[in-house]
Amino acid sequence: MNKLKKTLALVATLAIASTAFVACDDDKDTSTGNSTTNSTSDSKADSTADSKGEEGNGTKFTDDGEKLSVLCWTDNDVKFMIQHFEETNSEYKGKVEYVNVGSEGAEAREKYATYFQGDQDADLFVLEADWILDYINNDDYTAPMSDLGFEASDFDGCYEYTVAVATNDNGVLKGASWQSTPGGYVYRYDLAEKLLGVKTNAEMQAKMKDWDTVLATAKELKDASEGKTALYDSLGGIWQVYSYNRSSAWADKDDNLVIDDYCKTYADIAKTMWDEGYVSTVDQWGDGWLNQAADESVLGYTFCTWCLGAGGQLESAAGGVTREEGKDDVINNPDLYNKFDIIAGPSGYAWGGSWLALSPKCDNGTLAKAFVEHFTINEETMESYALFKGEFVNNPTVMEKVGKNEKSNNPMLRTNPWSILFEAAGNIDMTGKITAFDSQIKKAFNDSVTNYLKGVEGYTSYDNMINEFKKAAAQIEGLNVQ
Amino acid sequence: MATAAQRRIKSVSYAKYGYIFVAPFFIVYFIFMLWPLIETFMLAFHGNGNTPKLDEAGTSINCFVGLDNFKTILFGGTDFKSMGIHERFVRCMGNTVIIWGGNFIPQIALSLLLAVWFTDMRVKMPGKGFFKVVMYMPNIITAASVAGLFLSLISNSPYSVANNLLDKLEVSAPGFYNFIEGITPDAMVKDGDFFFSSDKWASRVIIMFIQVWMWFGNTMIMLMSGIMSINGSLFEAAEIDGANSRQTFWRITLPLLKSIMVYTLLTSMIGGFQMFDIPYMYRTGSTLNQYTETAAVFIYDMFHANFASPSYGYSASASVILFVITSILGAMVFYVQRDKHAIEIKKKRKQAMKEAKKKAAQGGGLGL
Repeated sequence: MNKLKKTLALVATLAIASTAFVACDDDKDTSTGNSTTNSTSDSKADSTADSKGEEGNGTKFTDDGEKLSVLCWTDNDVKFMIQHFEETNSEYKGKVEYVNVGSEGAEAREKYATYFQGDQDADLFVLEADWILDYINNDDYTAPMSDLGFEASDFDGCYEYTVAVATNDNGVLKGASWQSTPGGYVYRYDLAEKLLGVKTNAEMQAKMKDWDTVLATAKELKDASEGKTALYDSLGGIWQVYSYNRSSAWADKDDNLVIDDYCKTYADIAKTMWDEGYVSTVDQWGDGWLNQAADESVLGYTFCTWCLGAGGQLESAAGGVTREEGKDDVINNPDLYNKFDIIAGPSGYAWGGSWLALSPKCDNGTLAKAFVEHFTINEETMESYALFKGEFVNNPTVMEKVGKNEKSNNPMLRTNPWSILFEAAGNIDMTGKITAFDSQIKKAFNDSVTNYLKGVEGYTSYDNMINEFKKAAAQIEGLNVQ
Repeated sequence: MATAAQRRIKSVSYAKYGYIFVAPFFIVYFIFMLWPLIETFMLAFHGNGNTPKLDEAGTSINCFVGLDNFKTILFGGTDFKSMGIHERFVRCMGNTVIIWGGNFIPQIALSLLLAVWFTDMRVKMPGKGFFKVVMYMPNIITAASVAGLFLSLISNSPYSVANNLLDKLEVSAPGFYNFIEGITPDAMVKDGDFFFSSDKWASRVIIMFIQVWMWFGNTMIMLMSGIMSINGSLFEAAEIDGANSRQTFWRITLPLLKSIMVYTLLTSMIGGFQMFDIPYMYRTGSTLNQYTETAAVFIYDMFHANFASPSYGYSASASVILFVITSILGAMVFYVQRDKHAIEIKKKRKQAMKEAKKKAAQGGGLGL
């Protein structure tokens, strides 16, 4: 009896205690499973990798992994990529897996590091322009592309800047991009005709050829609409164009913050636009941002390649499309849906951009190589993907062809967007302009300018604003602020 | 005569089962509560960031830096970094006190009024139970939903209800805009849209309101339990003696409610200094609103802004400073409202005892 009581008490205690620790090791089974496969794969790697490397797939990795895991934070790209990859290569059907890590780039940046410390499978993962340097300069997280058997010359067909960005401080190529992300100005042409009297896309471009003309056009628009319609959708949009066109890097070689005339020019132009009502006060990505074209409170948006596809921002701005499986897609607002057009705008710019990077833990060498090749080297599959997804792929030769192909026309836009953006993409030059602090400096600067425009205490003049900006930038580790 | 079995049972100690049953709690408490608490204090005396470069400089998370973090937070320095941290912390503390004060005073007044009404025999209110439930309701909605709700009701966005309403009102009341424009900087009113969620006072008052709305039901229930624990014969006696409601409230309810009021004040103060969710989430855009940034937001943002190399030191020091401030204020509250009469009696008794001892010593002649 006593024994029974004791046993019962012990069992109850253990049951309670163990529940407390459930959270700590919720996937113990899978992790132990993985670690065993890892250890075996490691030993195998030693014995087989070399021979494989010479005659097999040319990679330094094994093919022990069950599936190729591609990590990303958005469904929008990788899911389409996997679909296209598997459709083109039927032998790889069901072999590639999308792993969601976070809901936005900044979150993924944080979560990758934690993810890699665990035992989960990771072969390829996606990096974003703003923080790619964090990862490609860390050998624990990224392996060189040469480990897959690629040579630098394999990427000669890509836009040069995408290769420059993915090359780390030691000159090692650590990533390959499947896209280039030039942007332009997408506007409602019916509204432009009514308010500005412009009939063609070339006329509109002439009205927005540089920033002075933009200001004049914005004034004309304001007067014609009696203050109702602004030229730009949000301050964030203008900032995107402007931040890209900075002629130098935000930090010099010794990691000193560089504040130059550029900052003043931007603050001035932003203030004029804000005070005069040339730009909407709605927050980019905020509530109501994409309603503004529909209710005519803005003429157009700064959109880049990845805003234009199905399910993208342009579609929302055009009233949206209801998609249900088994039924035809329904355009919610047919009167608005195809009333848009695209021009290059006052200056070319790129917005974001993503790179495929290789995890040192990769255990699907052949598959990883095929995947990277499919989207960044093979012109045939790239062209097919460009038409499949409506993507601006990372190859000028391919894009020139795609721009002329009627299949790449966008139902929402009067002009083929790729023909317009093709030129802008050619001008993209990011060499020497990217620093590891970019995302944080840009956020600090943009926050400061926003406060300056809103007249927040401490930000009442340009000099005060710069002073506050310096204080914010000084918090960024490794950056020196004088 | 006890049998052998009975003797054995007597000697069995049941205490150990008790220990075994409470052990899980203590194990969890030590690992997940006590250790983090100790760790916070330790981190407060360590540096910030964890790169090899900082390790070398002796200012990383792994290095002991003494009171440097506290010095920077409380007194700032000459470089931009220290200046930024110090100014921000002071601003955040100010915001915390303002927002807490602005929420506590109306909240306690409202809760007290309602609690008295709900417990007063003389007030015949139909549907008391219904109102109690409805008033408690906001407290069970998650803060994120509440912030989202208020952002769509009243915020910067021209699509928020308040701004839509103002748009409509403009037709009938053109003077209204001039009125708000008169009391806020021009930049806060754009094209007829009022920047509720970035304006200094509008945003603060809205957050105060949300806090009151979320918590007054909770406080009301607490005060009601306090009032109901007062002996009913006191109220009856007062009634028989001809006291009116006001006299009953001021002379009986309030003095006897003191201990519950102190408890409410203390918990609200502790909660107020930790206020995070609504001030953090009630904003438009990615920029934090510097008028509503509280100390807890500071602590969070300090280590979260740079995840790769977090500033745990500053966050931990700020937490310790908050802890000290809360402790001091708590002690002050207890000191101010201590029972002076009881202390006086205790003192007198002690003195009397002392004198009695003295007398005994003199009279007895037994002093050793």
